Amino acid sequence: MSNPARPTSRGARLTPEFLRQLRSLRVAVLHPKDEDGETLAQQLQRIGCQVQTFWPPVPDLPDNVDLVFCAVDQDVLGMSFNWARQEQPPAVIAIISYENPTIFDAMIKLGATGVLTAPIRSTGILSTLVLTVGLNEAMRKAEKRVLRLEQKLLGINQINEAKSILMRTRNVGDSEAYRIIREQAMSRRVPTEEIARAIIHANSILSGPMG
Amino acid sequence: MSNSDPVKVGVLFSREGVTSRIENSMLLGTLFAIREINDAGGLNGRELVPVYYDPHSSPQMFKSLATRLVLEDKVNVIFGCYMSSTRKAILPVVEKWNRLLFCPTMYEGFEFSGNVIYTGGAPNQNSALLADYMASRFGARVYMVGSDYIFPYESNRIMSDFVHQRQGGAKLGERYVRLDAQESAFAPIIKDIRAKQPDFIFSTVVGRTTRMFYQAFADAGLDPARMPIASLCTSEEEIAEMGTRIAEGHYTAGPYFQSINTERNRSCLAHFRKLFGTQVEPNMSWESSYNQVHLFAGAFAAAGCDERDVLLPHLLGMEFDAPQGRIRVNPNNHHTRLFPRIGRVNDGGQFRILAETLSGVEPDPYLVSHSFDDWSNRLRVPADEQTHRE
Repeated sequence: MSNPARPTSRGARLTPEFLRQLRSLRVAVLHPKDEDGETLAQQLQRIGCQVQTFWPPVPDLPDNVDLVFCAVDQDVLGMSFNWARQEQPPAVIAIISYENPTIFDAMIKLGATGVLTAPIRSTGILSTLVLTVGLNEAMRKAEKRVLRLEQKLLGINQINEAKSILMRTRNVGDSEAYRIIREQAMSRRVPTEEIARAIIHANSILSGPMG
Repeated sequence: MSNSDPVKVGVLFSREGVTSRIENSMLLGTLFAIREINDAGGLNGRELVPVYYDPHSSPQMFKSLATRLVLEDKVNVIFGCYMSSTRKAILPVVEKWNRLLFCPTMYEGFEFSGNVIYTGGAPNQNSALLADYMASRFGARVYMVGSDYIFPYESNRIMSDFVHQRQGGAKLGERYVRLDAQESAFAPIIKDIRAKQPDFIFSTVVGRTTRMFYQAFADAGLDPARMPIASLCTSEEEIAEMGTRIAEGHYTAGPYFQSINTERNRSCLAHFRKLFGTQVEPNMSWESSYNQVHLFAGAFAAAGCDERDVLLPHLLGMEFDAPQGRIRVNPNNHHTRLFPRIGRVNDGGQFRILAETLSGVEPDPYLVSHSFDDWSNRLRVPADEQTHRE
């Protein structure tokens, strides 16, 4: 009663973009139409996702599916899903009845990043969905970044190798070697990495010190 | 059990604690409906008997008393809860024992349980209308003040999204006060409001601190005609507590006001006054508490039983001629179609209804992203209000 009340305040709180987009999420449910399947499909409809149910499990799904809820049980263990091996596979939430290594293995092979345990309750579906979709978005961004960095790193290695070839063959210093590469790139309007690759290639053909 | 045995139902509304005043009105709304049902012959001839406990506005007590109602009193149905925290406390109990909870309070949405019927509003039935109405008439620079718990946090998130969709919309402040705060908690907030001069103030302050907030606003000489407080939960009961002088000119969104001018509402109020006198002021939470007992009775008449699995199919889609209009339990999400309205407190301590929906609005408790969808098409603004708007 006598606690001095301290007003608290909060900073700008707006709803994150991917949460706003929940209703445009295209969801496939691979689950038998039993009580759990009904609970899941109904809750997804309440949330407002666009839901399609497939059972028995199908190897191919419509192209634009963003998220798959997939029962991982005996029927699924032996199956091979093309949708799970797409270049940009949908996010996967596994629905499991057994918590054992066989099921975990199948779950991981599907690329699941979220899990619901049967029996399914309405409560918990949205938080698993939000976490999985958020996680997948972060993973996709991270993968893109890694790919970009790998290419960048490869490029730097190639430029370094090309520079050392020039330094050796033309008897120039480090910065002069780089200037030559850059000048070539500019006059031919191509990336410096491409000039570097051409120098390395030429050097390997000539295979031996010049001059 | 023979077919003439009474039907016991649990009732949990607080007569003590921070939200006792509004919950007491909800208790009387519930008992009023039970009385009407029994006077009309009961549930298929069986008397409806409330088993009441006072949970003192405490989530822990709500939980232990709900457990007691289930295990000792063997009730199948419980009517109760005002704050979300108390509903969340009961939820595992009714789910574990497969009982049914009727919850009459408008709340922040994002809940579904097969063991709950929600007869208060979801945000698309109150916040959406209030945001649209206030922003289009006063401007979208809003200052938010709420009690420190989940309902205000979520309501403010929705309001933030709304005002940021508006040209010139901004959130000028967002402050929370404890449910058991004292008068002094509001002084720095009022000072900040005075400095920032928002277009309107969005209040989700609940319980006994409501009076303190409106009092502080009035004491500072702020003018509701220029910078009104718009609330989702300041009802006739809170107005009676704070006094008309302080409340006059401020706005509330809700599906029910005493001032609804229909024969159904007038006779309902008259009947209530006759039976229960003037100890509480009928309000939106009182009305939903009343409605939900009648929804239950209607379903019971068809089911002949109050066990959850038998009763529920009859409850889904059940309609009732409520004082606010004809409400219906939505079979998909267990919430209720309601009739959102906007009221402004007049010099008699009643709400003058400024806008109302022509037909009911279906509940959409999982709507993350509200937009200013064209409410004006769905609203009826009284003719004299259009010409005499300030």
